[in-house]
Amino acid sequence: MKNKLILWLSVVLLIVLIAFMAKDLFKTGNVSQENVYEYDLNSLRHVDASKISHKESKQIKIDADEIHTIAVDQDDNIYVGTDKNVLVLNSEGKQINSLKLRQAASCITVMENGNILVGMSNRIDIRKPNGSLRNSFVVKGDRTYITSIAVQDTNVFIADAGQKIIHHYSIDGIKIKEIGEENRAEGIKGFVIPSPYFDLLIGRQGELWAVNPGRHAFEAYNFKGEQISSWNRTSMSVEGFSGCCNPSNIAILSDGSFVTAEKGLERVKIHLPSGDFKSVVAAPDLFEPGTVGIDLAVDSEDRILVLDPVKRLIRIFEAK
Amino acid sequence: MKKIFSIFSLFVLLIIDFAAFAQTQRFPRPEFESGYTQPVASMPEPRAGIFALVDVLLLIAALSLITWFIHRKRSRTGVVITSLFSIVYFGFLREGCVCSVGSVQNVVLALFNPGYHIPLSALAFFVIPLVYTLFFGRTFCAGVCPLGAVQDVFLLRPVNLKKWLQKVLGLIPWIYLGLAILYAATGTDFIICRYDPFVGIFRFNATFFMFAIGAAFLLISVFIARPYCRFLCPYGVILNLVSRVSKNHLSITPASCIQCKLCENSCPLDAINKPVEVKQMEGKRSATRRFILLGMIIPALMIIGGWVVSNFHENLAMVNSKVRLANELLHFDSNTMKESLEIEGFRTSGKTKEELYLESAAILKQFYYGSWMLGAFIGLVFGLSLAGLTRYKYREDYEPDKGECVSCARCLKYCPVESN
Repeated sequence: MKNKLILWLSVVLLIVLIAFMAKDLFKTGNVSQENVYEYDLNSLRHVDASKISHKESKQIKIDADEIHTIAVDQDDNIYVGTDKNVLVLNSEGKQINSLKLRQAASCITVMENGNILVGMSNRIDIRKPNGSLRNSFVVKGDRTYITSIAVQDTNVFIADAGQKIIHHYSIDGIKIKEIGEENRAEGIKGFVIPSPYFDLLIGRQGELWAVNPGRHAFEAYNFKGEQISSWNRTSMSVEGFSGCCNPSNIAILSDGSFVTAEKGLERVKIHLPSGDFKSVVAAPDLFEPGTVGIDLAVDSEDRILVLDPVKRLIRIFEAK
Repeated sequence: MKKIFSIFSLFVLLIIDFAAFAQTQRFPRPEFESGYTQPVASMPEPRAGIFALVDVLLLIAALSLITWFIHRKRSRTGVVITSLFSIVYFGFLREGCVCSVGSVQNVVLALFNPGYHIPLSALAFFVIPLVYTLFFGRTFCAGVCPLGAVQDVFLLRPVNLKKWLQKVLGLIPWIYLGLAILYAATGTDFIICRYDPFVGIFRFNATFFMFAIGAAFLLISVFIARPYCRFLCPYGVILNLVSRVSKNHLSITPASCIQCKLCENSCPLDAINKPVEVKQMEGKRSATRRFILLGMIIPALMIIGGWVVSNFHENLAMVNSKVRLANELLHFDSNTMKESLEIEGFRTSGKTKEELYLESAAILKQFYYGSWMLGAFIGLVFGLSLAGLTRYKYREDYEPDKGECVSCARCLKYCPVESN
């Protein structure tokens, strides 16, 4: 009986093998349509849970057709730039003001005195805390596209993704100089910006930090335009940045660590001031695949505010 | 003594195996972040002339030795020794190439493609076992063929198959042979090599699919003797035919059979024919009628087979890379489909679509005629198998089935008769 069973199992296995070989020979499936060089990120979307340092503590739904940018002021009020206006919310998410815009906002920065700087295509509007217009100026250039603003005292630094340069203006709209132009003699390689994501911020010592996304690098400049520091981390792993141009957006924590947001692999991470990877704030599985323009802000308690433009949410992350 | 010898052989085998394995691992293949997998090489490096000659000489030596062991010494141990040598040399060291089983395709390609010059070693590996078989039966299968040998050493708990099942499964190698000839003749592919279940194991580079197939064959070999040899091997089919007319085939008894029946169940391949009593002579009229009937059935089966298979000639031709590419191009829509590497390669080759379609049409025509012949061949095999069932064979002694017997010499030790 046992022998009979073994025999029949063996015969069935033999027939199955022959069937498999025949199928392999004659199958005409679209194997050749598969691209063996396909840039497949699926395996990289998984993040080891031990590397996640933050948990999502709150979500604030934004009532707008499009949301583009986020900023936080000294009092932890939240500013959200939409396609029509700037919404001002208190730290609990309740709307306290709305400032109408002439164009969609691409970036916002709030000064210590409460003035609000809004970047729109090639124009900067400076609003007083009550929303009235203080002044407005246009950044010249056919290809100008403003993606970020950083302010230190009366100095305004404007990231221009179109011209791949940082413009240094005074608060009154007077151009002082350009920073970051390629200068091999000075060791400045120039910005590589293949897509309209080019962020900057002011560091703890008042230095200007800018992302060089095409080089997966961070570069620090003094106000004279000299490069004083830089680091880059190109890697397919979570320790670095990959793709054509990442990170797309940045923010800074009170200890000087950088919060970074990426596209392609939609994730938010923290890198130490040295550039080394520290932890993951939000893993790719929290975002819709294809989400781009995940803007960031950090409040006075080092809570990380993540703008999710696809779900139209402000997602607040706190350390575990 | 036997035990010591077995352990020693195993030790030598392991050392040689490890050396081969270490060589392959010394320079690991690069890995691609894109997930690109390197294709498995279908053939090892070609041999320089002198080494090819060494291979042929070793084939002759192994065949002579095993034939001597079987016919003169009547020694199963000698067969096992030669089997181990074949597994090591023709299997692991020569990486299963050139092998007689695959050489069928070289011969066919040389016959149908005047531009192809068959390597002399391939021709020798095809012809020499046939010559030995013609004189001494399938001594090549006994232990010189590494594919047969590796299955044979795995046979631990043999279970016999029903006769009808053997007959049915025994038709598969004929179909496989027909397909292999069709694909080799049209220059499409060497499918025997592509689906050789053990060659990837010998080379340590099997794809998961082929490793699984090879492992499964070895697993089956534990219970069913030589499943690949009996139910797939296309060269075995040719050797089977040649062996039927072999001059000095192995006999179970060295002298006269005493009908002790001790060998009756000794063959794991069930290749021992039992004595058949004298039967009353069939009437002349009945025999004539049967002959005429078979004479009509066999051609009918050939025509039906040819017609049926020819209807699938386009499916058969899809194995051909040019036909497949032409078909892909024909159905390719650049607006909705992603361009495959093959199409991209073709586009950059500078060849026009029309040229490819013309070539493809010519190949399809070859497949149309080829599939008619394949179908007719399959019909003929079916017909002759039917005819074989109706044929009466008178037999006095226990004899090996000259076609099916692989001369493994297992049955010899069961015979109590001393040689004269």
